[in-house]
Amino acid sequence: MTTAQAPDSEPNDPTRSGPQWPAGSGARLSLNEIAQLCLKAARGAGMSWGLAEEAGFAAAWMAERGLDGPGALLTQLRDAVGRPWRDICPVVAPGAFRAGDRGGLCPIALGSALCDHARLPETAMDGAALQVGPVDHPVLLLAFLSDLARTRGGAVRLVWPRGAVLLTADGRVFGDADELARETRLDGALSLDDVAPEEQPAPRAPLYVPSETLSGLNAFALRTTVPASDASRAGAGATAGDND
Amino acid sequence: MDCASLNPMPEAEAFRRPPSQVMRLARMGCAHPTRLSFLRTLLRRVTREGWTFDRPVWDIDGTGVGRAVYRAAGPDRTYSLVAFAHDLPDGMRSDRVIATAWDATFTLFDGEPSAADLDRLEANVPLQEAGRISPRELSLSRANRSVRLFAHVVERLARGQQPDRAEVDAVGYLMRTTAVYGSGKFGAADRAAIADRPELSAPFQAEMLSVWLTRQFTVDIAEHLAAVRGGTAAARLDPAIRQALGVGNSTGLGMAPFLVRHPVLLNNWMVAREEALARVRAQQAADPDAVAGLRAAIADARENAMLWRSGHPVQVGKLGALRRDLSRLADHVAGWPAPGLRIPWDALWRWGESELSLEGQEALLALMLEPHGTLVDDLADCMTADEAATFRLDGAMTVATLSALLKEHCDWALSTDFDLPENAARFWYVSEEKLEPRLGNRFEEEGAALEQPLCIARLARDLHAALADWPAETPLATFLLAHPEHRLMARRAQILHSHPYAEVQDNLIAETMLPIDLMRCKLAFFGASRFDPRSDKWVRISLFQGLPYPADVSPGAWT
Repeated sequence: MTTAQAPDSEPNDPTRSGPQWPAGSGARLSLNEIAQLCLKAARGAGMSWGLAEEAGFAAAWMAERGLDGPGALLTQLRDAVGRPWRDICPVVAPGAFRAGDRGGLCPIALGSALCDHARLPETAMDGAALQVGPVDHPVLLLAFLSDLARTRGGAVRLVWPRGAVLLTADGRVFGDADELARETRLDGALSLDDVAPEEQPAPRAPLYVPSETLSGLNAFALRTTVPASDASRAGAGATAGDND
Repeated sequence: MDCASLNPMPEAEAFRRPPSQVMRLARMGCAHPTRLSFLRTLLRRVTREGWTFDRPVWDIDGTGVGRAVYRAAGPDRTYSLVAFAHDLPDGMRSDRVIATAWDATFTLFDGEPSAADLDRLEANVPLQEAGRISPRELSLSRANRSVRLFAHVVERLARGQQPDRAEVDAVGYLMRTTAVYGSGKFGAADRAAIADRPELSAPFQAEMLSVWLTRQFTVDIAEHLAAVRGGTAAARLDPAIRQALGVGNSTGLGMAPFLVRHPVLLNNWMVAREEALARVRAQQAADPDAVAGLRAAIADARENAMLWRSGHPVQVGKLGALRRDLSRLADHVAGWPAPGLRIPWDALWRWGESELSLEGQEALLALMLEPHGTLVDDLADCMTADEAATFRLDGAMTVATLSALLKEHCDWALSTDFDLPENAARFWYVSEEKLEPRLGNRFEEEGAALEQPLCIARLARDLHAALADWPAETPLATFLLAHPEHRLMARRAQILHSHPYAEVQDNLIAETMLPIDLMRCKLAFFGASRFDPRSDKWVRISLFQGLPYPADVSPGAWT
């Protein structure tokens, strides 16, 4: 999407819903812009509307904490293009949210399923850790793990062979979040900490979304739109002029 | 805030209208502004708290080009409307979103802008959607002149005369906004970042403040140009004429989906309004002052209805009904309340329900609230919504429970036969060309495969049907693993459990559906008057008409 103005060919309609930013440059987006853009991109990449809402939520939650949610989501959407739902949604059993034998889980699908099961025996985590994965682009799980912590009380810990993160119910992130962002696929273990730490994590710089991410997400988002037709233009607005 | 928790009048519960009555498009499309409307909430606050207003920057040249700053100082914080005035040839004046130039552009700045801020804003705000603003800004908007009235007013004032009152009444505004963006649009501050400020916690307060200050600007620039042209002979606008001018607003189809996309917010708006009506009806007696207040409000409403113009056939019919209804109401209230009449306000309401059109009934609602500020104004505090709090699904809910929820709250949808063409005639989509919501004809246009999820009735029916295939005790979490396509509606159904006014109880893809009904409802909550559809999908309205100006609140501070 660029800022080029289309020909002045339409009847009046004063409302625009889509995002726009200068072509070829990045931007500091509001969280609302990130959530909306990521929702549309996820839908454009084939997610159901309800899961696309989860994707927008997860990306904006990360951005609020200076983490590159939009970039991670874009990578995930590109990697998952064309993969059927049964291949990317978890197979759920007590103590395990596992992928089948056709590649990694979608982190949005896994995170949503974890939250959906937060009050069910499958996520009990009493005594034994909950095994998850393999999951792709696992940094996108962070928002869901925080919500899981809020539902369950305490804090949720994700441990994987190269690191660990701790998510509190009030949305603080501790540990190796940057390391997690570099992981493209991992098997992890979730456990509950009864008591959340009291300190504040080191603040991060506000997220700046580079132009490659914006254009990539926009390309997916545009797949949710319908090309204009004469009929749609004719029905868009008033028929009278504006120089009253 | 939860309205139930601040309910000082539990007996009102019995008088509340049910969602099945209130959440119908035909009735929503007759909504009138009330004292709980958002611009009224703003005006009460600035008056109560003694806000002061002035215009520290007025750097507009003789051709009407330049910049101005309007400052609104509250007890804790100051906000500034930054206005850029442009010289727009008539041929470029368009209300369409794709317009690239406007008579004036605005942003509401959080605080007092420095010269550097103004320079940054001058490089972006005039570009509107093609520019970027920052978290220091709370809104982005633009306005176009009513060419006819603006020219007439400037010409008359320049000659030391007042404008013709009939001309003023025919248009009702000097300028109309064609978009007012808030809530993080184009880089502005997110709603979450300002929602905990008391003065901005109610819905759309930053936008309302921006439009109110814009109204001041529209008068100031007309008087400025008249002074440039007429010199010392020029007149200022007569206060009565000035007060009769609102800010116009053009609104398109893009606004219609808002109420559907924000179910918790819609619920809270409706609950507050309905609780207000219920409180008024539940009173045991009619206070003489309130009766006098009602009669005065009816007189004002009759005057307003005479000035309200529309060329749209539907609205013309409604206006005729409204004028007749108000006349009958005035006659009825002349002899009301009869001595000894029990719960008199409820009796009045019931009379209205049996005797008046929907337009008249909803006008009566607004009129009955008007003299009851002390009884209902606290409800303005519970019209906001924490949407994050209702986002997470309860996956432990069983399929049987969810199915029962749908049966209870969406019964109106479950029996609809969407195989009948008239029940699925439309589809909502977003146009690639303008990235805006549109409404298509399913059987005539391409693109139905890219339908937006605004067809709530059908989504509810489809979810209900899918649930029937699963054992009753299955958790929703399990169902959603198999059916991710039902996640959106499952979330909405759970919201309905605690927010029964969250859904419009009509089929939004029916052939007969009128988008202007959704727009009228939302605009009435803003406080809009003179609803004037220019088509089924596009309206003009007026804001703040007849109400004070910032300069009236701080008369000494004005130049």
